[in-house]
Amino acid sequence: MKNIVKEIESKFSNHDDFFIEEELVDKTAIYLIGFNTLVDLPKSKLYVQQMAASSTSLKVLLTNLSDQINVDTAQIIKSVLEGKLVIVSKDDEENAVIDPIAQNLSSSIEEPKNESPIQSSTDAFGEDININVGMIRKSLNTERLCHCSYQVGELEKRKLSMLYVKGRAPNDLIEKVNQQLNQIKSDIETIDDLNKQFGQRRLSPVSHLFATELPVQAIHSLKKNRIVLFLDNCPFALVFPHLVWDMLSSVNDRNFPFVLSFMLRLFRVIGVVATLILPALYVALVSVNPEVFKTDLALFVLKSREGIPLSAFLETIAMVVLVDLILEAIVRLPKSVGPAITMVGGVILGQAVVEAKLVSNLLVIVITAIVIASSAVIGMQNSLYIRLLKYPILILASLFGILGVFTGFIFTIIYLASLTSNDIPYLTFRIEQKGDTK
Amino acid sequence: MKKNKRYKLLIVFMSIILLCGCWDIKDINKRTIPLVLGISKEDGKEYKLTLQIPIPNKDSKISRIVTGKGETIASVLGQMRTNSEDAVDYSQIRLIVIQNNLAHNQQEFKGLIKFLMDSEEIPSRALVAITDENVENVLSNINDKLGVHASSIYDYFNKGAGWAPEIFSTPIWEVYRSPFLYTRDIAVPVVRSGKDTVLIFEGSDILKKGKIVERISPDEYQLINVFQNENKKGKGKIESLGFASIMITNSSIQNITSMKGNQPLVSSDLNLKIHILERKEGITDHMIQKELEKITEKRFYHILKQTQRSHTDIFGFGQQFHHLISYHELKDWRNEYYPKLRVDFEVHANME
Repeated sequence: MKNIVKEIESKFSNHDDFFIEEELVDKTAIYLIGFNTLVDLPKSKLYVQQMAASSTSLKVLLTNLSDQINVDTAQIIKSVLEGKLVIVSKDDEENAVIDPIAQNLSSSIEEPKNESPIQSSTDAFGEDININVGMIRKSLNTERLCHCSYQVGELEKRKLSMLYVKGRAPNDLIEKVNQQLNQIKSDIETIDDLNKQFGQRRLSPVSHLFATELPVQAIHSLKKNRIVLFLDNCPFALVFPHLVWDMLSSVNDRNFPFVLSFMLRLFRVIGVVATLILPALYVALVSVNPEVFKTDLALFVLKSREGIPLSAFLETIAMVVLVDLILEAIVRLPKSVGPAITMVGGVILGQAVVEAKLVSNLLVIVITAIVIASSAVIGMQNSLYIRLLKYPILILASLFGILGVFTGFIFTIIYLASLTSNDIPYLTFRIEQKGDTK
Repeated sequence: MKKNKRYKLLIVFMSIILLCGCWDIKDINKRTIPLVLGISKEDGKEYKLTLQIPIPNKDSKISRIVTGKGETIASVLGQMRTNSEDAVDYSQIRLIVIQNNLAHNQQEFKGLIKFLMDSEEIPSRALVAITDENVENVLSNINDKLGVHASSIYDYFNKGAGWAPEIFSTPIWEVYRSPFLYTRDIAVPVVRSGKDTVLIFEGSDILKKGKIVERISPDEYQLINVFQNENKKGKGKIESLGFASIMITNSSIQNITSMKGNQPLVSSDLNLKIHILERKEGITDHMIQKELEKITEKRFYHILKQTQRSHTDIFGFGQQFHHLISYHELKDWRNEYYPKLRVDFEVHANME
């Protein structure tokens, strides 16, 4: 055994899944090197042997197997880590990096988990970046679809792909994103890590990237002059930049006639506005500005709140927090107990809270309405950030009443309008500027 | 720089909490919400205020009557606030009933309306009504009626177009405005407590420059309503002609104004669409139409003569002469022009 093999062996001495197998091919001994957690060894061996049977010499075999022949040690170590199979001849003179038959580690194409498209194909992106890019290429077969890939990270090298349609996505945007991706120094573990590379938005609830599971949606975004990023092992297409319209419209809407899709979008807008201002409006009207009510309504509200010990603000904040807690908890529940807990949480708690006269009937109606309304928007993260933004408005409402509700609402809009990603404002509806086709 | 920014934010948040005055906010269930305010003056000296406050319970059909006396209205309102269990929120007051002895005292009535208008708490859109009875009786009458809602007095004035075209509502701001108008006078409804219903509508008092000059009957007022508010067209009014009764389903009016020397002229056409409800035998459509036209015209000329005598332009005819008479001369509309006004009033009744 010569130098290279020894060196590699010592390098991986504390990896139990590392293997060095000796094999006789054409009366010459070779070493097969790799990780058996990444390489399906028996099948790969068989494959090498079959190839060897039709090759006259070792050299021919290696040429047949791979085009990466006689690389240096560092390259070999890197290839081993990437899950490749390395063949080194016993006399250490020849080596080759070959693509083995890999262990099946990623799930196949499944149905989307976080989105439920209506009247659409039910494919969802999976974990493998190549499959994801493939899914896009399959449906968008034009030579103008460009693909740039990157290896980023400090500890691990993670694969990152950028897709855009040449002539659609603005050139300077592509250039900037390209620069930002090349500059990544730290590890990219989550979407948020990637998000940070596009500019400082640490305290902002709105992400630069819109994550979608649906190839249809990603392709639509590409056609609408945007960039789609894929991260290895991340089953989402990350659309850059994220615009407000993503929250309100999905490409699947247009499977319905225009009037219906318009209606759907209108309802989403209503859902957003209702989530933002309904609880605040309740507090403002009940505790600060009851004179706004018409007489009958004032009497009705008065009646429904009779004997409730908590002030309107405390009552509302308690219920809103409780509901957000429940929503968060339900996500983490195992599927087997989920429905039971939901029933107890929703029905019994709602009933009990009202009967105990802790909160008013009216508030329960308001809370139910906003919980449902907040889910009308597209994308889980959008729904979450809308739910977050209602809190400041609620606090302002408890201090300033109706005035607070509307100032809060206006300030929310001003805040959203101030967000930009690479000079594209968040509140634009579409990116008009087009790139060159050159 | 960054630290500085943080301090600035802190100051902004502190001032939000300190400046908002949020410590005295009362939830709606901790407030007492009076709906009707009755004002009278006893022995010409002390003001007596009566509040009708609904008691919130399951069907909210009960209300209580709270009274207070004092030298000025503001002091009584304050005193009631002191004595009340909850915070009294006057912002829901919808109706202000004024006893006639107070209403007929021009000076005091003017002062009262000015106070109500200036008061920040009492909404200026609250309606005004006058009663000949004791105010307290009118308000307490609500509780004696079976199954009547606490807000019934307010509902009484808000039946909606077509259900009772004779009744109209006059908010505080219109009463307040009326002394400043040169060319139009307004009317305030007069009510009294009913035997079986909460209120009975008695007609309306006509206010001229803040002074009550005369009272007109509900029938007459409907005609005035047609002239004053073209949107309230007096639909659904049922007229009895002796030999037939008809319902007016629609009405529209067209006025053409002109000046002949110094005499203002109005030719006015009232179109009525009618629907015959019942008739005696042998009565033709034509007879009914003619009779209705005659009755309405007669009624109109009667009021016109009456108001011309008292120099009170209740129809608001002066409003239509704004482009014909200069502003300075309009000041004398009531005294100079209105008594000379000639109106060619023609009614055209049409079958539906």
